[in-house]
Amino acid sequence: MTATSPTTTTIAARAEKATKIYGEGDTTVRALDGVDVSFERQQFTAIMGPSGSGKSTLLHCIAGLDRLTSGEVWLGAIPLGQLSEKELTKVRRDKIGFVFQAFNLIPTLTAYENITLPMALAGRDPDEEWLNRVIDTVNLRDRLTHRPSELSGGQQQRVAVARALASRPEIIFADEPTGNLDSKASAELLKFMKRAVAEFGQTIVMVTHDPIAASHANRVVFLVDGRIVDEMREPTADAVLDKLRQLGD
Amino acid sequence: MLKVTLKGLAAHKLRFVLTALAVMIGVAFLSGTLVFTDTIRKTFDDLFSNIYRNTDAVVRGPTAFETNFGEQRPRVPASTLDVVRQVPGVATAAGQLQINYAQIVDQNGDPIGNPGRGAPALGFAWIDNPELNAFNIASGRAPRTDDEIVIDKHSASRGNLDVGDRVQVLTVDPPRPYRIVGLARFGTADSPAGASVVLFTPRQAQKVAHAPNQFDNISVVARPGVSQEELKGQLQAGLPAGSYEVLTGKEVTKESQDLIGKQLGFFKLGLTIFAVIALLVAIFIIYNTFSIIVAQRTRELALLRAIGASGRQVMGSVLGESIVVGLLASCVGLVGGVVVSGLLKGLLSAVGIEIPSSGIVVRPSTIFIGLVVGGVITIISAVLPAWKASHIPPIAALRDVALERPTRFTTRAATAVSVLVVGLIVLFVGVFAHLPRRFVYIGIGAVLVFVGAIIAAPLFARGLARALGAPLRVVKGMTGTLARENAARNPRRTAITAAALMLGVSLVGFITIFASSAKASISHAIDEQLQVDYIVTSGSGFGTGLSPTLGRAISLLPQVAASTPLRFGPAQIDGEGQFIVAADPKAAAQMFDFGVTSGDFATMDAQGIAVSKDKADSRGWQVGDAIPVLFAKTGIVPLTIQAIYDRTEIAGSYIIPLSGFEQNYTDQIDYQVFAKLQPGVTPEQGRAAIEPLLRSYPTAELRDQAEYKKDQEAQINTVVNLIYGLLLLAIVIAALGIANTLALSVLERTREIGLLRAVGMTRAQVRSAVRWESVIIALLGTVLGLTLGLFFGWAIVAALRREGFTRFAAAPGQLAIVVILAAIVGIIAAWLPARRAAKLDILRAIDTE
Repeated sequence: MTATSPTTTTIAARAEKATKIYGEGDTTVRALDGVDVSFERQQFTAIMGPSGSGKSTLLHCIAGLDRLTSGEVWLGAIPLGQLSEKELTKVRRDKIGFVFQAFNLIPTLTAYENITLPMALAGRDPDEEWLNRVIDTVNLRDRLTHRPSELSGGQQQRVAVARALASRPEIIFADEPTGNLDSKASAELLKFMKRAVAEFGQTIVMVTHDPIAASHANRVVFLVDGRIVDEMREPTADAVLDKLRQLGD
Repeated sequence: MLKVTLKGLAAHKLRFVLTALAVMIGVAFLSGTLVFTDTIRKTFDDLFSNIYRNTDAVVRGPTAFETNFGEQRPRVPASTLDVVRQVPGVATAAGQLQINYAQIVDQNGDPIGNPGRGAPALGFAWIDNPELNAFNIASGRAPRTDDEIVIDKHSASRGNLDVGDRVQVLTVDPPRPYRIVGLARFGTADSPAGASVVLFTPRQAQKVAHAPNQFDNISVVARPGVSQEELKGQLQAGLPAGSYEVLTGKEVTKESQDLIGKQLGFFKLGLTIFAVIALLVAIFIIYNTFSIIVAQRTRELALLRAIGASGRQVMGSVLGESIVVGLLASCVGLVGGVVVSGLLKGLLSAVGIEIPSSGIVVRPSTIFIGLVVGGVITIISAVLPAWKASHIPPIAALRDVALERPTRFTTRAATAVSVLVVGLIVLFVGVFAHLPRRFVYIGIGAVLVFVGAIIAAPLFARGLARALGAPLRVVKGMTGTLARENAARNPRRTAITAAALMLGVSLVGFITIFASSAKASISHAIDEQLQVDYIVTSGSGFGTGLSPTLGRAISLLPQVAASTPLRFGPAQIDGEGQFIVAADPKAAAQMFDFGVTSGDFATMDAQGIAVSKDKADSRGWQVGDAIPVLFAKTGIVPLTIQAIYDRTEIAGSYIIPLSGFEQNYTDQIDYQVFAKLQPGVTPEQGRAAIEPLLRSYPTAELRDQAEYKKDQEAQINTVVNLIYGLLLLAIVIAALGIANTLALSVLERTREIGLLRAVGMTRAQVRSAVRWESVIIALLGTVLGLTLGLFFGWAIVAALRREGFTRFAAAPGQLAIVVILAAIVGIIAAWLPARRAAKLDILRAIDTE
């Protein structure tokens, strides 16, 4: 695979022999089967694969939401498997940004409060200049005092992206961020994510099953039955679609 | 459908347990009250059956009149006994004589028992005929000489006394020593229901009772073959008509049992009120729980409708759940009732009221009432949510869950305002228009105001929750913000949860205000109406007192300028049973300022009476008028009104001179003695002079005016603490309600909490957010409750102005403590839901289906 001997300075996150087994005895499911993968800094990486391939599990484990059965994941130089629950929470809060498919926002908080939520939880003041830039980039200035129920699906996802960016995390994990959006809103959201990588130097790892979404990434990693089977640099939608068909056979 | 119901229950154990607990506690208290009072009742019933077991008839004086404290009747002359013995059907007869106050002082000088608060300290004449004597000798022998006594075994063990010991006995006469020659049992018990008993020789008993050649009544045993009814007839024929009353043994047993039953009835009613309050609170909680459950299960229920379940079936499924909860909880509650009856006994004994009981009586009716009340309450509370559930359209299965369909704002506001306005009008009519039965108006008004407040609560719950949570935003940052917004997001849910607490807290507030105003009014009355230096008290309550010899000794001290005892006794005036007070008029004129409007205390004589202005005005009496007063001892005596006075807080509405009291009452016992020192005598010198006189009277306590006020306050505090204890029940149930609502909300917010955890909220922060949400809900209920309590307190004090509530005291310190305690209640209620929220699995929370 790639990045066999990466230096930690260029690698934002890395998994080594990552294995995740659910259940016991006859019902054992190997969701991840010895995955080795690295995600470089300032890159937009997409993880693709058929349903049940383990792509979400991989994302959850690298993002510190779930723990591996064996193997290890590093966030920068931090081995996540060694951390306590409390330390892991702080890592998520301070070093990781999240964008989920749905239920991304706290309904009782305004858009602005949602964006600054991780910093508020840490008791830190946001960097105003950076925050303004993020808010302008996702074009939410006139929606800041609205609550999620007053925002469209696309706007809600943009708020989520803004939240992920606002604390300048080491890495952003996005789990099917366009899954619930129409094509126009999807394209817009992906454009923002791409800009975040290109202009702000952010690192994004996105799980998706949509070849068009994947085509916005710098690199696509393909996962089948809990193993990395292939990858592609600077993908196009057609090339990704071809590869998926090939894997599906 | 039953299967769906039962599976639903099994799947949500916490909400099931919390809802059930609310019903359970209510039922436990209700059945506990019944068990407790039934047990006491049985104890006394057995006692009286035992006392009168051999008595076939009782001959006694005719009833003079009735008071709240029982019938008043004259004694019978001892010669009646000889007449009774001549009646053909009579086998034996004996004269009974009871002494209402005979307190044993143990060898350390400590009185045994406190008749002011618990069982009385009684004395009896010893009856040689064992058939008619309720007591039997356990060790030693019967009293033979006038300085010999027998005491009950219970008192003997309390005072560590035995045959041969010498003890002091306090009666109306100067204390005198007696020798214990025997210990007695009462039937098979060590004491009659906890009372302390001194058994004197009949002659000494008559002397102590100031009843020379008299008996209270005569008990009679029939010859074999003569029925109780026949005996009664013979006795009635053999005695002068009109001067005696004759009862059969059965009648007198039943009369005694009924009297206790009546007194217990008040007690039972009092406790039942608190059980009802607890059950009302439970209704809120069950209603709220089922409403939330139905809202959360909208999709599931709609799906059931979509696949063919009828509206009735859906309703049945929800009601089915409530029936299972209600019945199971009631069953457990009944078992809890037995525990509660023990706790009630402990609670009363903690405030100094010892209640005798033996065994535990659980009557079938108790079981029936417990099950029916618990079941019915649960079902009633679930009916509205179930009805709503049955009206969920099948299409709702496809729509997003609408968590709360609020009633239209204007409808709710209009209803709330109209109920509140009507309630306030009725209440104010009760307070300010001096109508008969005004407390009924006040009560109805208060209930309506309360209902109005509950209807209105959801309207301002959001705003108030935000206002109460505002400081949290600053202090606790994001955690505080989330707590505040969560408390405000479902105003109806928050409002109903808070209303459950509001009910209990409003009563706490009301009682607090009422008590503090009562204390302030009494203090004011003492300051205004008493110009005395020292008061000698004899503990509190009836059935206790001081021998008049002490009062006389105090009045003879050179340091004392004036002194008078207060005595009181029953009489009937203008058709009403009354307690009238007696004092020395000359001393009273110097020491009491009752606001005399005409006449003069100082010149009153034995044929005089002083009456309050209220009574005089309402009956058109003036100084110089003679009014007939009915006494048990002397019958109707015309007394001349010699003074009319304004202030009734200390001495009530009727005062007679001691000389008049001595003529018309048998028992001469001082309740309190008031003393005013000579000019130039310091309080220390006064105390030094009076104190040595008290040594032979161990129940006597010397108080200056400030201490006396504290005593009065302490008496009120005792009652108030008891009420607080009983209201705690309603508060505990309300706390369960908060816990239940939070648990359901946490469940509903699984995803949200998962997201918060994913983006970096620590478990401690999750717990903190739930905890503070709980505190906001608790404070919301407390603020509303105290507002109502303050208002009701003000209303009742205003209404009782003429009854002596001259001062309104808001007790801000105590109310602040209530607020703090409520916040703590909130924290405790949040404990389990907060733990649950913090433990939620992040992945399950954020995974999309």
